[in-house]
Amino acid sequence: MNYQFTWNMLPLLMAVIISGTLSWFTWRYRRTPGVMPFAILMLILFQWGLSYIFELAGTDLASKLFWAKFMFVGVVSTPVAWLIFALEYTGRTAWITRSRFLLLSGLPLITISLILTNDAHHLFWTSASLAREGGFLFLNTGNGPWFWVHAAYTYSLIMIGLVMIVRALLRWPPQYRGQMVWILLATLTPLIANAITIFKILPILVDLTPFAFTVTGVGMGYALFRHRLLDIAPLARDVVIDGMKDGMIVLDGNRRIVDINPAAQNLLRISGYEQALGKSMADLLNARPDLIERYRDIDEANDEITLGQGAAQRWYELNLTTLRDENKSMIGQVITIRDITQRKQTEVLLQENEARFRQIVEDANDLIYRADLNGRIVYANPAVLRALGYEEQDVLGKHYLDIATPEMRHKTKRAYEHQFISRTPSTYHEFPALAADGREIWFGQNVQLIYEGDKIVGFQALARDITAIKQAQEALRIARDQALEASRVKSQLLSKVSHELRTPLGGILGYAELLRDHTFGELNAGQSKAAVEIIESVNYLTNMVNELLDEAQIQASTTILQETPFSTSALMQQSTSGMEILAHKKGIQLNTSLDPNLPPELVGDERRLRQIIINLIGNALKFTREGTVSVRFLRPTSEHWEIQVQDTGLGIPKEAQSYIFEPFRQVNSSVTRDNRGIGLGLSITKQLVELMGGRIALESEIGKGSTFTILLPMNKGTGEKP
Amino acid sequence: MTKPLALIIEDDPQLNTIMSITLQADFEIETYADGSSGLERLKHSNPKVVVLDLNLPGIPGREILQHIRADERLAKTRIIITTADERQAETLTDAADIVLLKPVSPAQLRELASRLKLI
Repeated sequence: MNYQFTWNMLPLLMAVIISGTLSWFTWRYRRTPGVMPFAILMLILFQWGLSYIFELAGTDLASKLFWAKFMFVGVVSTPVAWLIFALEYTGRTAWITRSRFLLLSGLPLITISLILTNDAHHLFWTSASLAREGGFLFLNTGNGPWFWVHAAYTYSLIMIGLVMIVRALLRWPPQYRGQMVWILLATLTPLIANAITIFKILPILVDLTPFAFTVTGVGMGYALFRHRLLDIAPLARDVVIDGMKDGMIVLDGNRRIVDINPAAQNLLRISGYEQALGKSMADLLNARPDLIERYRDIDEANDEITLGQGAAQRWYELNLTTLRDENKSMIGQVITIRDITQRKQTEVLLQENEARFRQIVEDANDLIYRADLNGRIVYANPAVLRALGYEEQDVLGKHYLDIATPEMRHKTKRAYEHQFISRTPSTYHEFPALAADGREIWFGQNVQLIYEGDKIVGFQALARDITAIKQAQEALRIARDQALEASRVKSQLLSKVSHELRTPLGGILGYAELLRDHTFGELNAGQSKAAVEIIESVNYLTNMVNELLDEAQIQASTTILQETPFSTSALMQQSTSGMEILAHKKGIQLNTSLDPNLPPELVGDERRLRQIIINLIGNALKFTREGTVSVRFLRPTSEHWEIQVQDTGLGIPKEAQSYIFEPFRQVNSSVTRDNRGIGLGLSITKQLVELMGGRIALESEIGKGSTFTILLPMNKGTGEKP
Repeated sequence: MTKPLALIIEDDPQLNTIMSITLQADFEIETYADGSSGLERLKHSNPKVVVLDLNLPGIPGREILQHIRADERLAKTRIIITTADERQAETLTDAADIVLLKPVSPAQLRELASRLKLI
């Protein structure tokens, strides 16, 4: 085999180099849709062109035929590769399956096998000879029937692919239109060249198709580099930009809209990007000249703007970027608009909340302040400043202990150090603070630790000016001390008086009794009577002293009631046994009755109860001339018991019933020498009953008698089962 | 038969005399007008009955009461308290055998003391 290369083959070589380079260059971007078939297509064109060079260079029929046949491997692959490129480029990747690929490759494979076996059947080439033209030796073939089948198939696939690409480009935004021109040029040129060759439109033997690949390579290359054909595949743009929630507007160098995605269309209330194309932003935003003015000469911006009015108003984050070429001249602008209404509303709500709470804190009458970990005050509300008479700048940065009076600092410090160490969430502490004018203001403050995560970062205090309370407490303490002192003095006085009165009474009673009992010798009748009179007078006086002391004790509130268990029947027995003799002397019947529902044991001051009952029986006997005196213990409710003393005596007039319980008051008309008293008995009884938490009632009718009823709370003690 | 010993510790001389006269039929009587001398005598005697005033010069009656109750040797000594203070009387009912509020009736005292003599 001999080959003869000439300069005429140089354009062909260029086409080969271009397609080879493109194939090699684009291979690294093969992951972008459409790039792998494109690279393969370029490789095929490279193989096709190179084979043709060798066919042309061959000097004999055999070598030319060999290269022609080899060339056809590329020729039959081209339409398949092209179609796959078109499918991927227009987003139909999913259409390409293994079986469809095999189906598409079926005819080309038959073609190849027919070419290889052409000598046997001449279905592809009917003849093959050498022909000279313009100094070149060409392979001149006669095209057989299968050649036309192959040609028809090839043209069909190329046309289908071309239609798909053109339709897609027409749909895509204008910045991809430039690509279309070059892709059409790159595709149609070899197609036309091929048509000229196979239909022998020009009387030449040379196959123009591979030469046209120069145009293909240049066209594709230009589309690639100038229009970034593969860099940002339009498909990716479709998916990303049109699918974006953010609005995106691309302006050209004259600030005319060249692209606007659906989100931005929505936002500007336009339907379809055709409406916006070529227009300026001012045309679309005529309602907002302020915005147009604001961004007129701005290169970069990142702002928050509002669009719409009233309830329909929404917030957007606007981002404006200017694109510049290497000469720094503007080639366009990209505006992205993100709807941040929700975030803004949340922010506004937060701000409102913050403002609301701040307002509460600022308006509060309570003193609120915060300190950091070092104890430096970082916030103090106006109430703090008012209370202490400081200006804000005097307080901020001050140590909280500096507020306290010097003598209280140590104690206050210890309290809060302990809170910090023990992590006590909340404490209450009182201390005197020092106002600007030197006055002492008492703070009663709740202090809470402030956490950030697990870490304590400071504390906050909610304090009250408790100066008035403190002063009142102090006054109260003094008053209480004074009262206690007064009471103690009174108590001492009573004890003294009691001793000083009773001791001489002892002397009188003692000697009188000794006289009466003839200890100092026999007495005559007059002397004996005198001794008895002295004894009676002493007893009366003793009784009076006792009542006066009782009354005085009650008045001085120094009466202390005992709370001990006692038997109800024993109380009845002890209270009445002494009185029975007295009743018997007067011929009066003394009846007693005990309610069976009454517990056998109660808790209370038995001695005082006995005193009360004896006093009432005594009164009843005094004012009853005949009939009965009845003493009853009753149980009117489950929570109370009653002591009732009823007589058939004189009765107490209505007007007297209202004052009979007052000290020193008696029913004058009924008092005789026999029943005289100082009128303290009922007063003491009533006060004792009230001390026990009970009340006394009187029912009386002149001539019929009186009934005193004492209602007392049932105190069963702790041991008694309910 | 010798009469049992009764100590009367009472600072008021009249009451002292009255009680001595009252009890002399049944008891050998010794009287003391202050707490210290009474207590001193108690250390070297074993009276059947002590009539004790609470409000005493020197050692108070309450202390003498405690002393008697704490002394094993005086376990059989009966104590009659006489006091003018009602409230003090209330607090001593457990420790003393009998508490009498002044003025004390001699007849009552004689009656009670003679009963105590028997126990």
